[in-house]
Amino acid sequence: MATAASDLDDAALQTLLARIALQDRAALRALYDASAGRLLAIVQRMLDDRAAAEDVIQDTFVTVWQRAPQFPQLRTSPLAWLTTIARHRAIDLLRRRRPETPLAWTDADGQEHRHDVADPGATPPEQIEQQQDDGRLAACVGRLADEPRQAVLLAYYEGLTHEQLAQRLRRPLGTVKAWVRRSLQQLKTCLEGAEAVG
Amino acid sequence: MTIHRPSDELIDRLAADYALGTMSGGARRRFERALREDARVAQAVMRWQQRLLPLDARLPPAPAGAALWARIERQAFGGATVAAADAAPAQARRWWQRWFAPLPAGALAMGLLLGSLAPALYRQLQADAFETQLPESYVGVLATADGRPGLIVSSLRRGRVVDLKRLAPVAATAAQVPYLWTLDAQGRAQAVGPLPDFDGRGLASLKLAQPAEALFQRAVELAVSLEAAGATPAQPSGAFVYRGLCGKLWPPAPAAAGSR
Repeated sequence: MATAASDLDDAALQTLLARIALQDRAALRALYDASAGRLLAIVQRMLDDRAAAEDVIQDTFVTVWQRAPQFPQLRTSPLAWLTTIARHRAIDLLRRRRPETPLAWTDADGQEHRHDVADPGATPPEQIEQQQDDGRLAACVGRLADEPRQAVLLAYYEGLTHEQLAQRLRRPLGTVKAWVRRSLQQLKTCLEGAEAVG
Repeated sequence: MTIHRPSDELIDRLAADYALGTMSGGARRRFERALREDARVAQAVMRWQQRLLPLDARLPPAPAGAALWARIERQAFGGATVAAADAAPAQARRWWQRWFAPLPAGALAMGLLLGSLAPALYRQLQADAFETQLPESYVGVLATADGRPGLIVSSLRRGRVVDLKRLAPVAATAAQVPYLWTLDAQGRAQAVGPLPDFDGRGLASLKLAQPAEALFQRAVELAVSLEAAGATPAQPSGAFVYRGLCGKLWPPAPAAAGSR
């Protein structure tokens, strides 16, 4: 599956990662120039904290420098690999610092509150549609039922574990796990179907 | 998590959890061991990473500046810097004697040597009664982005002029000028000023409004970016075109010297 979402040249990034695996410093710099801005945007959105996001990106590139030789298979999809490293670092940070709150709750005065994904002006599928190139993933996400879709997007954008999702959505852990598992399977089937048609 | 002969279905499910981010930290780290050891796991992870990547595709990039790169460079290459320093003393005299001779092959390595070994070299040279000694000076040998020797920057410690020798030109538009920066230990960039035009021999002098000591005292690196002509940027607007360690060529402070 092509990384249609990326305007970065995968072949060029693969070459850079291969050079980094040989400890070529100039290649790490070139990779930074090519991808750091994008990774920083992803992490900054998750953390809502520029300084913390920069710490994560620093850790990401140091990890790439140290571990590029260990993951030759993953270097075939460089941007996806870099994004995963950065997101996992951000998720670790979020989990350390965030007390979990439910998605909707009522305070002692009877005032209702709601905690939702980043952009309250757009539903999650709309956000995705705005953010991706080919619309296939958006279409597939749009076919998911509301709550399972929300669980998947909260997991991706806010780095929630199954347990945290269960707290946030106020649903049993088993239910949330099943939602996520079935939703991912549906996305996979849907995307593979779209590929077959395309 | 120990995976014994996992089914494709189990691998796919775990790979999806890994890419989505729902795994707990401990489970993720254990899964990464399987990722390194089992090509099937790596393939499954890669496919899931690619499936989810469009979720971020149109997010506008955030500017990632030179200061962040400086921090990465220091952390990633720190060990190698130490290794270079360890290997250097035996060649110190030869390197020093070549200082004004044809340029060394690796400006970056030379910059590292200067930055890390200058005090030790100076002491060794003093002990050997070496006759030629530079006055107390700041010296930087800056490399181009592809690691070639690019620019020599030097100034008397308390002087008000920076002498420059360009070894490799960099491409710049008519609207751009090379701009000199210092980088401190935290990677923060501080402007020194635009470089003047180089003469036919690649030489130029930059006049300073204050003594070099005031500008370079906290510098661990020197770097040059390309900036809009006439601008006075607070931070570099793009990647550095030259960069290297800022060497301080003078003996250690008397108290430190006395304790040796």
